[in-house]
Amino acid sequence: MPEQIIFKREEDMPYLPITFGSMAWNKTGTWRYLRPKFENKISPCIEGCPAGQDIEGAMVLIGKGKILQAWDLFKEENPFPAVCGRVCFHPCESSCNRGEFDEAVSINALERFMADMASRHGRKPLGKREKRKEKAAIVGSGPAGLTCAYHLARLGYGVTVFEALPVLGGMLRVGIPEYRLPKKVLEEEIDQILELGVKAEVNVRLGKDFLMNDLKEYQAIFLAMGNHQSKSLGIPGEDTQGIMSGLEFLKNVNLGKAVALGKRVAVIGGGNTAIDAARSVLRLGSKPFILYRRTREEMPAFLGEILEAEEEGIEISYLVSPVRVIAENGKVSRLECLKNRLGPADEDGRRRPVEIKGSNFFLEVDQVIAAIGEEADLSPLPKKLGLKENAVLTDERGATRQKGVFAGGDIIQQPRTVVHAIGSGKRAAIFIDCFLKKKKWEGLFEAIRIGEQGTLSMKRYLQAENERASLSSKTVRLKDLNLDYFDYKKRKKMPKTQVAKRVGSFEEVNQGYAEETAVAEAKRCFNCGVCNLCDNCYIYCPDVAILKQGEDGPNVIDYDHCKGCGICVEECPRDAMVMEEERR
Amino acid sequence: MIEIRIHGRGGQGAVIASEVLASAFFQEGKFVQAFPAFGVERRGAPVTAFTRVDDQPIRIRNFIYEPDHIIVLDPTLIESTQVDSGLKENGWIIINTDRPPKNFPHFSRFRVATVDANRIAVEYKLGSPTAPIVNTAILGAFSRITGMVSMDSVIEAMKEFVPSNKAGNAAAIKEAYERAKA
Amino acid sequence: MKKIMVGNHAVSWGVMLSRAEVISAYPITPQTTIVEELSVLCADGRLKAKFIPVESEHSAMACCVGAAAAGVRTFTATSGQGLALMHEMLHWASGARLPIVMATVNRALGSPWNIWGEQTDSLSQRDTGWLQLYCESNQEVLDTVIQAFKIAEEISLPVMLNLDAFFLSHTAEPVEIPEQSLVDDFLPPYQPEFRLDPKNPHSFGCMTPPEYYMEFRYKIQQSMLQGKAVAQQVDDAFGRVFGRKYGLIEPYRCEGADLILITSGAIASTARVVVDNLREKGRKVGMVKVRLFRPFPKDELLEILRQVEKVAVVDRNVSFGVGGIFAHEMRAALCNEKVRPAIFSYIAGLGGRDVTPPVLNDVIYQTYKRQEPEAQSVWVGMRS
Repeated sequence: MPEQIIFKREEDMPYLPITFGSMAWNKTGTWRYLRPKFENKISPCIEGCPAGQDIEGAMVLIGKGKILQAWDLFKEENPFPAVCGRVCFHPCESSCNRGEFDEAVSINALERFMADMASRHGRKPLGKREKRKEKAAIVGSGPAGLTCAYHLARLGYGVTVFEALPVLGGMLRVGIPEYRLPKKVLEEEIDQILELGVKAEVNVRLGKDFLMNDLKEYQAIFLAMGNHQSKSLGIPGEDTQGIMSGLEFLKNVNLGKAVALGKRVAVIGGGNTAIDAARSVLRLGSKPFILYRRTREEMPAFLGEILEAEEEGIEISYLVSPVRVIAENGKVSRLECLKNRLGPADEDGRRRPVEIKGSNFFLEVDQVIAAIGEEADLSPLPKKLGLKENAVLTDERGATRQKGVFAGGDIIQQPRTVVHAIGSGKRAAIFIDCFLKKKKWEGLFEAIRIGEQGTLSMKRYLQAENERASLSSKTVRLKDLNLDYFDYKKRKKMPKTQVAKRVGSFEEVNQGYAEETAVAEAKRCFNCGVCNLCDNCYIYCPDVAILKQGEDGPNVIDYDHCKGCGICVEECPRDAMVMEEERR
Repeated sequence: MIEIRIHGRGGQGAVIASEVLASAFFQEGKFVQAFPAFGVERRGAPVTAFTRVDDQPIRIRNFIYEPDHIIVLDPTLIESTQVDSGLKENGWIIINTDRPPKNFPHFSRFRVATVDANRIAVEYKLGSPTAPIVNTAILGAFSRITGMVSMDSVIEAMKEFVPSNKAGNAAAIKEAYERAKA
Repeated sequence: MKKIMVGNHAVSWGVMLSRAEVISAYPITPQTTIVEELSVLCADGRLKAKFIPVESEHSAMACCVGAAAAGVRTFTATSGQGLALMHEMLHWASGARLPIVMATVNRALGSPWNIWGEQTDSLSQRDTGWLQLYCESNQEVLDTVIQAFKIAEEISLPVMLNLDAFFLSHTAEPVEIPEQSLVDDFLPPYQPEFRLDPKNPHSFGCMTPPEYYMEFRYKIQQSMLQGKAVAQQVDDAFGRVFGRKYGLIEPYRCEGADLILITSGAIASTARVVVDNLREKGRKVGMVKVRLFRPFPKDELLEILRQVEKVAVVDRNVSFGVGGIFAHEMRAALCNEKVRPAIFSYIAGLGGRDVTPPVLNDVIYQTYKRQEPEAQSVWVGMRS
């Protein structure tokens, strides 16, 4: 430690005011009343992701060009980044603080980009951690079932998946058209799951080909059969030839079966199935038009899908309800409709359509596709599991009332999206692991859940308790950021197939980012709440009390000299530092 | 000591003319000084510049109040300013104009010479037809009329101060030298 | 080589010959052509210097402070209002002991607006710790730039050289351009003892408490006093190499004089003509040009002035409430001398008013006529 230099005489002093020793002898840390500290917080995107992916971490890696490592990070939580990168409704982007600033980071497109990159490089997910003797049965091979299978297999369990259809993938395979999710992309991710040793049996339907009781050899069961039953229109003439459900139509198209459509095809409904059906009709060479009973405001389909449908010239009629199917020669020929107006809001907050008496009109149609909603077929399940309103009741772990039986995906009470299904599959895998190892799970949520509204992190679950970094309970909002350090920058657009080329072709619409674009887009990330070594603290510290430790940090605070002025905390762009009272 | 005063308008090149003239005398071994009457220079505004020439170092640093000769770059100045103020008797007034010297009878106490420097400048593409730069041409006339400095010295001096079209300026000096009328 | 050039270009060429490495300046009439010429010289490679354009004179000096602290030869130029805006940083430059050289084209200060010559701008900076030199001709301007760098670097203090607005800055006259190789020998590259260097970190100009601050001020005062001898040595050495020297002051025809006119800058030049004329008429009038104003050359002046009874000081400047600043300095410098001349103070030529031989004759005439100096400075050349 250098000593204080004291000049006794004028002649001993330099001619100009310059320091010689250092001031390190002066332990200014003792002056401190408040102390800064580095404390990472929750990025809202991660909290907003039902699959619990470390989005912020991946953005940092992509920004540095480490694309495959970013993919690894996602793959730790979710076996389906290539799928999600195409079909997820990306609630992460709705939570992104950048959205309030200029435009949200294009996380979804970046997820797809890293998955495509991993595919090109033949990158594989990490394999089994250990081998365990216990076995688990999974009913349904949709995103929930396969996610659960993936995680359980990696945890070392023997897993068998039972699928009623001839192919794996559930709704991903039969409900989503090729132009949104190419089969090849889905199959590659499913193959990676099977490569972990997951066994799959197809064409076996619960309740028909086997019963719950037949699964006794499995110590745990995960039920994820999905909602594959279409709701009926409930209007006269519904059983006429020339009327089919949206799901059936999409399934037939996806399975490569010949579908005979007339010229004019009415698609009824406002959900994703309706949009997917209409766009598929267009690609098969017929003219689709959509009838929806409320307005575009209330439409449950994702906005992006609606916009693309409109781009492709698909006409959507709002405030229209079909009331009767009129047949000619036993085949549908006209659809009688009523006009609606919007009434008061119903319990889900959307305004209810109210029919206008006498507003009847007729539409010439050759085919009607009814896509007004899907529901689960729970008839094969025993009542003792706990069933309510066509859903399986589960606790916060995803466990049913029957020991060892868990459930997830669209058959439980949660939003019916791919990413929620994936989240529920991961959750089930974690608690099946706890169940099979007879681990206490109390306190686990607090330890591995990312953010109070967030979901569980497999990465944290797999860490030993003592190696888990402490987790802040605070989610960073825009007001917590120091926006002086960020420039306005619009998000990068993904190239799309030209509209003219889309009609009559099932070629994928979105074309994905080039690497350069992806890296630039990832760099738009604010890294909310997470130190990315921007070094503002180091630059601004008036006491040189932020110490750097090589390229990869972390920066540390020299508490011997930090006076607690708080400039580092104030100038941290991303709320990754806090001040706390000094304990004396 | 010879003291010369140049009257012009902003943009005609009066200040450069004073410097070129000084430089021409300097080449012939004289001590010289050139400076403008420092106004707030704007295009079109009246401008005055001075040149002193002597056989000894020039110490005096004042404006010229009683010039030996006068150069007028713009004849309209004769109406608005008293260009002959303080001019010594028999001093030359060299005017850029298309009129002959006899058209300036009110300068009878002095000697008057004229040259159509505007036309010459336009001919050699010095400045633009609406705003010709006449400073070099009129010095050709000064050389011819006063005989105090050679045309070659004026041309050499011009080369030092004029950034472009040196050939055009040299030709303009020569032509003005030939066309100057007393 | 002799070249016809205006005073401002003489500054620029002096800077080029001195091989300044960083120039930062903001243009202002009548200094602008210094900066223009320097940027041309930098752009065409004749001067290998970094030219830093800035948004104000304050920033210009701040840039110079930074550059000089980093150990490079640094130059700036300004005028009037610009110098006033720079004031704060002038103290910093001297306090940090940085040998920055600045040309000030002396210009009157507003209000009212005036772009013409007056020394009040630079004399208002006399307490900032800068040496000040006042020049009389374009040749002296160029030579003084070179000398200024040498003096500044010798004593680690900044130097300001001053030239009159328009009467020098815009006046073209022959200037001898020194040989570059001779200038290089005379003024070797700047090699400071301390410089900003990341490899050898020091803190410069940091907070200095009362127990140390005064010693640093004392050292500036000592260096400033030493500056007089150094300026003399540099001028002598310059004379040996280039054949021209100017002195700290220059007495002109003071032999046997009974009255000495004291002045500076361009007025000194015209005063020579006046003195010559009066000497021809048998008047025993001499003139002393004060070239170095800070540090004030008291001893040198005293040696000349003790022979006469009357000294007339012509100031193209004014300190309101006191009067002419050179006169004021003269009185203060001489007040403890037993034998000393009476100081007659005159103010002339403010805001660019022409100080003609008749005005100077009037000064001399009034000084002869009066027994005692007036209590206040006498303003000459006023409208009447």
